[in-house]
Amino acid sequence: MKKCFLLFALSLIGCQPKAVTPATPTSEVKEISESMVRVNSTLQSWNIAQPWEKNPARQRRSLAAIVEQNQVITTAEMVADATLIEVESTDGAKRARATVACVDYEANLALLKIDDAKESADFFLGKTPLAMANNPALGDTVDVIQVEENGHSLFTSGQIRSADVRSTFLPGQSFLTFRVKASMQSSASSYSLPVLHAGKLAGILSSYDSKDQISDVIATPLISRFLMESQKPQYQGFPNLGVNIQSTDDPHFRKYLHLSEEVGGIFVSKVRKGSAADEAKVLPRDVILAIDDFPIDRRGYYQDPLYGRLPWMQLVRGNRSAGEVISLTIWREGKELSLPVTLSRQEEDSRLVPNYQFGKAPRFLIKGGMIFQEITRPLLEAFGDEWESRAPLSYLHVLSEPELYEKDHDRMICLSGVIPTQATVGYEGLRHMIVSKVNGKSVRNMRELIQALKQAPLGQRSHRIEFMDESIAIYLDDAVSDQIDAQLLQRGLQQLHRAD
Amino acid sequence: MHRFFLLVVATLAGALHAADLPQPVPAPSAQEMYRSVVRIEVATQTPNYATPWNAGRFSGGIGTGFLIGPNQFLTNAHVVSNGQRFLITIYGSPEKHPAKVEYIAHDCDLALLSVEDFSPFEKLPIFSIGQAVPALESQVRVIGYPIGGERLSVTRGVVSRIDFQPYSHSRADSHLVVQIDAAINPGNSGGPVLQNDSVIGVAFQGLTEADNTGYIIPTPVIQRFLKDIRDGRYDHYVDLGIAEFPLINPAMRAALSLPNKNIGVLVTNVTPTGSCDGVVKEGDVLIAIDDHPIDAAGAILIEGEKVNMHEVVERKFAGDPVKLGLIREGKEREVTATLKTLPPAKMYAIRYEEKPRYVVCAGLLFQPLDTNLFATASFRDVNVRRLYSDYVSKGLFQEFEDVVILTDILADELNSTLPSLKGKIVKTINGTKVTSLAQAHDLLYPEKSPEYLVIELLGVERPLVLPYAEIPAANERVSKNYQIKRLSNLKAQ
Repeated sequence: MKKCFLLFALSLIGCQPKAVTPATPTSEVKEISESMVRVNSTLQSWNIAQPWEKNPARQRRSLAAIVEQNQVITTAEMVADATLIEVESTDGAKRARATVACVDYEANLALLKIDDAKESADFFLGKTPLAMANNPALGDTVDVIQVEENGHSLFTSGQIRSADVRSTFLPGQSFLTFRVKASMQSSASSYSLPVLHAGKLAGILSSYDSKDQISDVIATPLISRFLMESQKPQYQGFPNLGVNIQSTDDPHFRKYLHLSEEVGGIFVSKVRKGSAADEAKVLPRDVILAIDDFPIDRRGYYQDPLYGRLPWMQLVRGNRSAGEVISLTIWREGKELSLPVTLSRQEEDSRLVPNYQFGKAPRFLIKGGMIFQEITRPLLEAFGDEWESRAPLSYLHVLSEPELYEKDHDRMICLSGVIPTQATVGYEGLRHMIVSKVNGKSVRNMRELIQALKQAPLGQRSHRIEFMDESIAIYLDDAVSDQIDAQLLQRGLQQLHRAD
Repeated sequence: MHRFFLLVVATLAGALHAADLPQPVPAPSAQEMYRSVVRIEVATQTPNYATPWNAGRFSGGIGTGFLIGPNQFLTNAHVVSNGQRFLITIYGSPEKHPAKVEYIAHDCDLALLSVEDFSPFEKLPIFSIGQAVPALESQVRVIGYPIGGERLSVTRGVVSRIDFQPYSHSRADSHLVVQIDAAINPGNSGGPVLQNDSVIGVAFQGLTEADNTGYIIPTPVIQRFLKDIRDGRYDHYVDLGIAEFPLINPAMRAALSLPNKNIGVLVTNVTPTGSCDGVVKEGDVLIAIDDHPIDAAGAILIEGEKVNMHEVVERKFAGDPVKLGLIREGKEREVTATLKTLPPAKMYAIRYEEKPRYVVCAGLLFQPLDTNLFATASFRDVNVRRLYSDYVSKGLFQEFEDVVILTDILADELNSTLPSLKGKIVKTINGTKVTSLAQAHDLLYPEKSPEYLVIELLGVERPLVLPYAEIPAANERVSKNYQIKRLSNLKAQ
């Protein structure tokens, strides 16, 4: 079978200009579709404005490759906020409910499995897992696989034009991506598609620009590493260095830093507290000249043996596991020094303002009609496309300067709005205020807020709530708000708080 | 308060008529009165804050004014703002009389003009300004020179609403406003609104998204302006300098142990250096102003009318005392604040008749933050927007006379490799904290230059570095290429 496969791939390369394959023997086409499943997922995100409710559900369909251990690999976009994931054989004959075995929203990759052992064995019976391809080089040809509704497979060959470190899903989360030039047709279940190289899995197509006929393909090394990491007892994700950098191509700046013309180097403008770089005592104003003997140029690129000029991040993210040690060559105050850095990863949930919250219901508390929420990036993004200028300034400040708040807070709690009730008479206009203290004590997170507002302080009828940036304390009658809360539940609110 | 206002009117009217009018004028007919409504033609020059070294845009407009005393023509400030040449025409006459602005009050959108030669106007009747705010539903006439024709126009309507509203000319001020349902169109601005041949307001603004809403400046605001300028100078409105929160919530009232159900507002902010600084504290409950009880929504009752408590201050002047009743730590007390203007509040008012201030150094353009710049540059940077909004309430003006911003980098071979970091606050220059534009200028151009000019921007952890040795040549190129005759302007006037 394997030989057959190779042959097929060869013939495909041979007839590259007409990529679609009516002439290809059906047996071989059947072969590849035996390594594919359709993934149908129903996604339902939370309504940030009314965090006790969910938004209308959406559907996504994709084609995904079967890999070892009866697992299916697809993009994280396919499972983000999924309420139901189904896998379906390409001929539609078999169907099973799948669960997420491992997901990395940052790298945009997910592994699916079928929980029930027997069901899983049944579903994957006769299917052939795809092996991982060796890393293709620039200029190599890869095949994008599509399967039409009738089960007919479509192969579209294309060349890897370039490789870059880009985001395929979440803004600011960049990983190695191939740009493949191929002219594809639109077809069913195309949210993401497997990409093969010499008959083996070489990538996942995450987007296609029909105008330029360019596809973004999650690259082979990243998928290989994800599969490797997913085998570990605890999935750790891809590590970060934890620095902000600036280029050093400005000649005056270089002279000011006493950088010689022979070296490149990137200027460390910020070291995130508790990050790998911070632990290794990398300092702001250091210049990183090289990472693991790869010289970094003035704009932050290094020469990758396989993929040409790539941004320095590739030497840390996607190419390395947490716990590994890399070596930084640093230029500090006119001297060169070498710093070993043990790579680590900051859990997204440990951030003051998490960038994403997939699979986690937003935390909130309703007390007497006052709605309290945690400031997260999804909350900010709920202010619309222009959220960076429309969101409240105090929230944006927390996002841009988390260090100023992190000491006393796990999350920032805000009063996001007020439902007009008997308890909130006179407070109707209050919104978008960050809570600083409740009954005299600062609150670290939603759990503490819920606890603090459970009962009025001894000898008091009301809770006292204070806010940052505003010297105003407001009072909430405990007994009245309890009554209101009971009414709100009767009026159809599913729940009044959520802290997990 | 009303009584107080009447007093003002009485003294003012006395002053105007007794001192300035040689003989009493018999009551003129309506047709005759119209002759005292003049057309004002203004040529303006408006600076462009994006290119502050340029002369700006030359333009012009038409407005209305009316004679309120010997060589005193009242109109709107926005009719004559940024004006360079003013011509006044009498109804039905082709002659244009050169005029000048005697007083201009941007915060209440009023201005007083005079002509070089008053003799052609001497025979014209003089409008008397009414004494009270017109009643709801009473009829009014608006006279002026609006678009849609060359000659004088008269429209009629009724008083629809009396309210405290923003005055859009400065963008930062709110005063009493009377809404009428007569059309007020461009060109009407500055024209008299009459009731029984006496002026009850000056037409000044409309509403674009609604029909039949015209706004007029009512007599209390006009009278205040006329009284303010009597000492030869316009001093601006005074302000309590506090922010309040209504005390309507029962739990809040109970927690603050407030006995009376409907009295009092909570003080949530006291502007540093403002009228109430040191007199009123945050957390105080204000219960009375000049002996008028303040209700829980911040309103006071005067002769049957509910008005905003700030209306008391609206009719006072710098140096006047205002008596405040308040509850602090459970005890009632009475304090007196001496009213004053709050110059830093100009941060939020559009500036007119000013030359934009700026410094250019090696193509880097530095400008002080103000509303003109804010409106031009549409800043995205959170630090800039926060400093702008907190500048007065948090008293940041005490620390920063100016918030200096790097607004642009005019491309030159010396600066072309700098990262594009426009719209950021300048934190330090050569290691010294920047607190005003003039100081920034001195720091940029020191007597003895170090090797590098080093500029740190707020929120950017990478300094901008330029070698001082090459800056003079760069300045020369920038001056020539961008036609910047003066590399800095540190004075607004």
